[in-house]
Amino acid sequence: MRRDIGCNRMDHAVSRRSFLGASAAGSAVVGGLLTAAQAEQVRSGQKRILQIFLQGGVSQFESWDPKPGTRLGGPFRSISTAVPGMEICELLPHTAQRMDKLSIVRSINLKTNSHRVGQLRMEKGRIAGEYPYVGSVGAKYFTPPDARLPGFIHISTRGITDNTNAFLPAQHAQLKLEGVKAPSNLVRSDKLSEEAAKRRDEFRRRLSERFSASRPGQKAYTEAFESSFTLADRLISQKSLFEAEPSAKDVERYGSHPFGLRCILARELLMNGGTCVKVTHHGYDTHAENFNFHLEQLGEFDHTFCMLLDDLADAGMLESTLVLVHSEFGRTPKINQRYGRDHWGASCSMAMGGCGIVPGAIVGATNKEGTAVSEREVASGHLFHTYFSALGLDTASDHDIPGKSIPIGDPAAAPIEELLA
Amino acid sequence: MSPSRTSAVHGLPLPALVVLLACAVAAADGPPPPPLPEDFVVSQVSPPLHPQIDELISTASPGFADHAADVCPDAEFIRRVYLDLAGTIPSAEVTRAFLADATPSALKRQQLINRLLASPQHARRMQYVFDEMLMERRPGTTIPVAEWQNWLRQAFLDNKPWNQLVQELLAADGVDKEKRPAAKFYLDRNFDVDLITRDVGRVFLGVDLECAQCHDHPSIDGYLQRHYYGITAFLKRSYLFTDPKSKQKVLGEKAEGDVKFTSVFTQEEGATPPRLLNLPAIVDPEGTEKQYEVKPDGKNRGVPKYSRRLQLAGAMISADNIDFRRNIVNRLWAMMMGRGLVEPLDLRHADNPPSHPKVLNLLADEFLSHDYDVRWLLRELALSEAYQRGSRTQTKSDAAATDYASALLKSLSAEQLAWSLMEASGVTTQTLAAQQAALLKSDPKNGPAKKDDPLWQDDVLHKALKPHVDQFALQFAHQGGQKTGFESTANQALFLINGSLVQGWLTPANNNLTDRLRKLDDNAAVAEELYVSLLNRIPTGDEIAEVTTYLDAVSERDPAIQEIVWAVLASAEFRFNH
Repeated sequence: MRRDIGCNRMDHAVSRRSFLGASAAGSAVVGGLLTAAQAEQVRSGQKRILQIFLQGGVSQFESWDPKPGTRLGGPFRSISTAVPGMEICELLPHTAQRMDKLSIVRSINLKTNSHRVGQLRMEKGRIAGEYPYVGSVGAKYFTPPDARLPGFIHISTRGITDNTNAFLPAQHAQLKLEGVKAPSNLVRSDKLSEEAAKRRDEFRRRLSERFSASRPGQKAYTEAFESSFTLADRLISQKSLFEAEPSAKDVERYGSHPFGLRCILARELLMNGGTCVKVTHHGYDTHAENFNFHLEQLGEFDHTFCMLLDDLADAGMLESTLVLVHSEFGRTPKINQRYGRDHWGASCSMAMGGCGIVPGAIVGATNKEGTAVSEREVASGHLFHTYFSALGLDTASDHDIPGKSIPIGDPAAAPIEELLA
Repeated sequence: MSPSRTSAVHGLPLPALVVLLACAVAAADGPPPPPLPEDFVVSQVSPPLHPQIDELISTASPGFADHAADVCPDAEFIRRVYLDLAGTIPSAEVTRAFLADATPSALKRQQLINRLLASPQHARRMQYVFDEMLMERRPGTTIPVAEWQNWLRQAFLDNKPWNQLVQELLAADGVDKEKRPAAKFYLDRNFDVDLITRDVGRVFLGVDLECAQCHDHPSIDGYLQRHYYGITAFLKRSYLFTDPKSKQKVLGEKAEGDVKFTSVFTQEEGATPPRLLNLPAIVDPEGTEKQYEVKPDGKNRGVPKYSRRLQLAGAMISADNIDFRRNIVNRLWAMMMGRGLVEPLDLRHADNPPSHPKVLNLLADEFLSHDYDVRWLLRELALSEAYQRGSRTQTKSDAAATDYASALLKSLSAEQLAWSLMEASGVTTQTLAAQQAALLKSDPKNGPAKKDDPLWQDDVLHKALKPHVDQFALQFAHQGGQKTGFESTANQALFLINGSLVQGWLTPANNNLTDRLRKLDDNAAVAEELYVSLLNRIPTGDEIAEVTTYLDAVSERDPAIQEIVWAVLASAEFRFNH
């Protein structure tokens, strides 16, 4: 069953977005729509990343690269979208109406069928090795110095502890939230007054500073230690963000399922100083019953994602927020005996849009039956270059890490120029 | 030093004597030194290593003497060496006794090193260090964690030579119950041949051949695809087998199968017999192909007449394998000094040479002639000036990181942090007292003797406090290979700021730290007890004044005491070994 969630608001959203642009964002007219914090977000020029990770490997056939009526295409039809000539799978009807904000890459070859390797390649834009994740790189370069939230927040429930920041400083590591639960230890014990907490921390800082001052050659360590306390303080000061119950209206629009609630939280984080926010939607590893599961999963994804996209657009934040929707790979063209599709990294798809990305484009293609990339093959390195070029980084240059020479993007890859606005 | 001096000291075994004299010249005119603990054994008669290390370190960098830090004060030393060798800071009582001990500093430091190396805490510390080194905090349940950790701990209680330990790891098949824990290295990597190939290279040889899986390494000349597949060839015939009766996972092996590879760049094909890096290939003996002790089938694991996997264990620890020795001495050096001579520890190659090649070679050579004696090497490192230098420095450059002119900061591991906080706050003492009381009640006959047995104490403390240690590991440890540098996250800070575990330890009770402090009326005495308990040093006058000002400014004394204890335990000086 599909809920009517009032998704038909594209024209409305678009006109509001252009209006916002024309009025330099945040005038009295939008006061009713934006909170002061949100208006500040728009004004600040901060760039952000919203990353939706469809964990398990979404099927390209059932999403961005449908092959209806072919031998391996499965039972679903394709539907037209807001972009003339662009068709996607009928499981994404709401997204289809917003494809003028997104572009599709259909020619990704990850050269792996392993969840872990695929995920690492998509995150790091490298074939192998210790490199930071998209969110950590974003956090490093786009978190304002006085940000109220850690630069990279990941809303998930499962998964191993990832080393997301690699050689980047620890403050750029992901802060992982267990679903919409607030981070642990945000709340002070009742025995400790706010005044006392402040007082003892000032004393602590004084001791640390003295220790650090007598060892100036080792500031990298002592500063990293202090910055963790600064970040902790910021989190504590933003605790209401994590603790707030979503409004009934939001729950109605986004859905009361975990992915809906996570996306509401993601919106709140992005609108209140968040830089990179990643939301994981679990459950795409459909070795059995691929079609039923995609019907269910993508139904959930489709309307929720669209609400989030609309809200970002309405707030005038899409121009400054890069939106990514991807998996760790796609699924096999071959349909197995359990009506499943297995792991397939050789020809998969993703969608992206927002900041710096040309909307409504399709990059690359697979062959008629979707068994291989037939045009404009790209690796995860190309995608990684594209994301950060769109955000304005020179991805051929080195990371800003003293004493090391590590290119931001894989030197063996390059941005997908046709996607850069 | 004149060899004739040896006659001046009596009653000591010669090797101990030689080392003793080499580092404790100052003691020659003092009172006769107390004998070393009886259970401390130096493996072989030979000149000590540490003066040779210091000679090489001090001559390696121009102008070294001008900017080298002095030997650190006793207070800094006792904290450092306790953390490195026993895995925790010392108690206030032990600290005071050491500082008050009038024995010449060099000698009492040496006595302390000997005592720590012979203690059960040292074996526990090494258990943690080597668990992390070998398993990298990988989740895995085939071999239960407790069995594995007991096996490791026993190995270090026995000071099992490193070559023997690794031989047991790499020859393990998981069948023999006694030796089964050693199979963890293989079994909890699910015998994934690629993963084990990479980790054998990284953990035991100090080279990360991951990229060489698909092609010769593009930017590291010395890492070839055949190196990767040379290791794979030892392993490729082995496989994970679930015994149908016991349901246990063990290793089986086939008596056939060779390794071929193709470069994804050049499409060139290659093949290799088992071979460790540039050592000679190990060719299968004639007529062993397809020859089985037990033929593999659904019910039986294969046991070949000739096992390539056993050859890996042999080749690894062969005296010809210099890389094996260089890797471990580099890792032990890093544990003590805060940075490997080769850094990252698993990336030794021509373009990433050791900072001090002569030191690395010296350590590797001497480690071999001392039969891979880990305890001997740690002792020599701890006795060196390089280890005992102060960490205070006025140089702003990063030169300190590579020339060892001053001590480097080492962040406490999750376990060091947990045990140090429990020691300082009084949790350890309280727990031990409770365990001893319970023992006396349950075993009135043997209890009185047993309760003072260090091994029993370490055992019960570890069991009782493991849940706390695990909570720290969850927050402060990370899964995967070693990282250069220090990391600190908001979650870790929040754990210290608001976490109920640490906050609970601040509640005054049963003569714990805050309880002792609240009973002191004199603010200077409070400052002293605070600093000695947490930082193992006497506070300066300014620091005493600072504490006094804080306590005077807060109307309620008990909360104020808890606040200053928290401030010190959450400060940088506590977080680092310095």
